[in-house]
Amino acid sequence: MSSDHLRECAPVDLSDEDVMAAMKAMMGYIDITPGDFREVYQVAYALAHKRMMTALKAEDVMTTRVHAINADADLIATAELLAQHGISGAPVTDGDGRIIGVVSEKDFLRGMGADHSGSFMQVIAHCLKNKGCVAAPMTGRTAGDIMTAPAITAAPDISIGDVSALLMEKTINRLPIADADGKLAGIVTRSDLVNAFCMLG
Amino acid sequence: MSYFQKMKGRTQSPPRVGAVEIAWSWIGSFLGIAAVGLIHFNLLDSTALVMIIGSFGASAVLIYGAVRSPLAQPRNLIGGHVFSAVIGVTAFQLVGGQMWLASALAVSTAIAFMHLTKTLHPPGGATALIAVIGGDAVHQLGYLYVLVPAGLGAVVMLIIALLVNNIPQNRRYPEFW
Repeated sequence: MSSDHLRECAPVDLSDEDVMAAMKAMMGYIDITPGDFREVYQVAYALAHKRMMTALKAEDVMTTRVHAINADADLIATAELLAQHGISGAPVTDGDGRIIGVVSEKDFLRGMGADHSGSFMQVIAHCLKNKGCVAAPMTGRTAGDIMTAPAITAAPDISIGDVSALLMEKTINRLPIADADGKLAGIVTRSDLVNAFCMLG
Repeated sequence: MSYFQKMKGRTQSPPRVGAVEIAWSWIGSFLGIAAVGLIHFNLLDSTALVMIIGSFGASAVLIYGAVRSPLAQPRNLIGGHVFSAVIGVTAFQLVGGQMWLASALAVSTAIAFMHLTKTLHPPGGATALIAVIGGDAVHQLGYLYVLVPAGLGAVVMLIIALLVNNIPQNRRYPEFW
């Protein structure tokens, strides 16, 4: 299902006219019909696509300077860190650096019990400091309290095709990459994937 | 796709080539056949040897008119003529009493063998057939037919193809050896 999903957005369809125009541009007599060319192209394209989707691994595209949040961090510090770096979520680690969850805007919103839409981390931090708004029930709690756990993580050698599929399937925006010991090695976000696909042309 | 649907075809003919391409096809084939013809009519005339056979006309279409075609590449040109000549002569010598059978065996076996050796060259089918139906002049050559005209003629045409097809900027030959 995953690769089907991705293939749908690939611009594979050549018309006979495209092929004819290309053949004309090549001047010499090309000993193949436009129909046969398209057949060869489609099969070859699918193979190249598959190869490219598996050629790049998470470790090639992930961000390694990850802003991890300690499970004990209070929510003010958490929200301020997210706001400061302009990110909407981050992995949560325990004392040994192992990934135990992910905290994101969604978790804050859930913790506030309100159906806030498009609220910014800065606003949340402000609310938390000023005990009186909807964020009030969250004061005194830690990142570990509100995070989504267990974290969905993957190994560094997962292909970017599989990462895309996982993000879609779990409706998440970032995938922490864990090394063999379960420690945080990096993170692949949707924008890392956009970059990766851009690199692949 | 149903059996009769297939007969309607599904795509279109490749585009017509430009005037320059046509001109170079004419020049190449003129020179190629001229070379083989000169040897045949001016050098070998007094001998029993033949140099020019009908299948070279077909080879000219490919190696001067469709130079990029896999069928027109040197291994196909040389291999196709030489292997088919051997098979044609053998077919005549084995079952020449039944000309229809020798003809059919020569051509079909030549095609299969060219496929097998990745030397498919359509004129090779004619070379195999001519070995059977070419009359006394050809029959008397025996296996010499493989070298002259088949092998030597193909080599002469190949040399002309290498010389002529690489003159124009947008032509090159061969694609592979």
